Amino acid sequence: MLTAVRNQLRVCALSVKYNIMREMLNKVTFVTNVLFMMFNNATFIVQWVILLRLRDDVGGYTMREVMLLWGLAASSFGLSRILFARVFSLPELIINGKLDSYLVQPKNVLLSVMTSGTNTSAIGDLLYGLLLLCIFCFSVKRLLLFLLFTVTGAGIMTAFALLAGSLSFWFVRSELFASHMVGSMTSFSTYPDGIFKGAARFLLYNVIPVGMMIYHPVHIMIAFDAAKLFTVLGYLVLLSALAVFVFYRGLRRYTSSSLMAARM
Amino acid sequence: MRKYVVIYRSVLMENLQYAANIAMGFISYFMLIFVFINLWDYMYASPGDLIAGYTKEQMIWYVMITEMIWFGARSATIRQQVSADIRGGNIAYLVNKPYWYPLYILSRYTAEWNIQLPMYAALTAVIGAAMVGGIPGFRTVTILAAVPCIALGMTIHAVFKICISMLSFWIEDADPFQWLYDKLILIVGTIFPVEIFPAALQPVLKLTPIYTVCYGPAKLIVDFSAEKYLEILSAQVVYLVAGCGILFWIYQRGGRKLYVNGG
Repeated sequence: MLTAVRNQLRVCALSVKYNIMREMLNKVTFVTNVLFMMFNNATFIVQWVILLRLRDDVGGYTMREVMLLWGLAASSFGLSRILFARVFSLPELIINGKLDSYLVQPKNVLLSVMTSGTNTSAIGDLLYGLLLLCIFCFSVKRLLLFLLFTVTGAGIMTAFALLAGSLSFWFVRSELFASHMVGSMTSFSTYPDGIFKGAARFLLYNVIPVGMMIYHPVHIMIAFDAAKLFTVLGYLVLLSALAVFVFYRGLRRYTSSSLMAARM
Repeated sequence: MRKYVVIYRSVLMENLQYAANIAMGFISYFMLIFVFINLWDYMYASPGDLIAGYTKEQMIWYVMITEMIWFGARSATIRQQVSADIRGGNIAYLVNKPYWYPLYILSRYTAEWNIQLPMYAALTAVIGAAMVGGIPGFRTVTILAAVPCIALGMTIHAVFKICISMLSFWIEDADPFQWLYDKLILIVGTIFPVEIFPAALQPVLKLTPIYTVCYGPAKLIVDFSAEKYLEILSAQVVYLVAGCGILFWIYQRGGRKLYVNGG
């Protein structure tokens, strides 16, 4: 059992490694993508400088907390798209019947799909998040928590995208629905939770999992709270289990398009 | 010119078939507007406050209109298709067709936004009326005056996006430059009106595409004045002429590059 798990993880790691190596074939494009994504993210600092000139805080967040929020959001999105970029295009694979080449492999189907693609610019996101932490609010304890929450955030993001994407096994239009739902996570995760009230707050902590992915972790990094930490970890496990369950239930409905394809 | 009208009409008919898909984009638009309504609700401590001369209602409507333009102008044609045609070599076939390639792309794009923008405009009106309330001092005739400005703004936006996509003649991936242009428009143009920036920066911002693409049309709707109208319209004409000149120049230079590389 342990050997099987170890082999599977090794295959996943190799898959990610070769994805990145393939992207690095054109080094200029690779470096440009990474650097410009960092610069692209940095432009949002202008927005916060302006908003914080108008008021001392936005939703209870000063510049330091906003940058922590932004850093964690960027790193989580980045890690998720470096390791599991294909999850975000899962509906396309399902609708066009392109899962065949994964189904015939002697390894776990879901992990093979998830790790079969990478997004170069996401490396810029990940680095940008770490850079913000180092510039605005560095401490060793916070760095360790940041790394932990980057992993949990990436996990929640991936699980949510997998769950939304798996709906394509049942509904064709859900392809667009999934992409908009995942996109809306970006909109919410870069604004302080203090500006949302009532039902919106409930939705953000339960339906669109931005609360567990970003808001709770930011609160924990500002003032450590073990109960919140376990809530985030528990939520990650539950959401991941649900996403995997829905994917495999949906896979039973999958029909091939008899497309001849090979994974290189 | 007739051939471009035929292209426009065929893409328009094609897009009408996918109106439901466009409507799915309403989810993202609504979520974004919801965030901004909450944000500006928080920023305006009391209802009568003014920020950079804007009331809360004007500020939220300004953001809704600029985002409406942004969402209405979203097009894979001016971004991915031009880059893909150049990178994939398809451009070698397209330049031999009996049309001028940039105008072919512009016709396709115009047909796309002619479907998208009215849909988003209707949604904006519904959300605004339900969640924000009316624009103070708004007159219906303002919309008629703003329509040419919006159309010019959309075209200027497309011309610059095509110029950036055509950088693929020289570099493999023009996407990073698209991100920067998009962020310039998004952060400086759609989220805030120009007046919110420091006074020293405002003249500089008025020289960027932000002024003609987003700020101009939105400003006219939330706070119309005949003087401002003429100023924005003139700036748009100058921008469009300059943009077309740059597009022509890049396309000519890029075409030579294509000849050297053999497609």
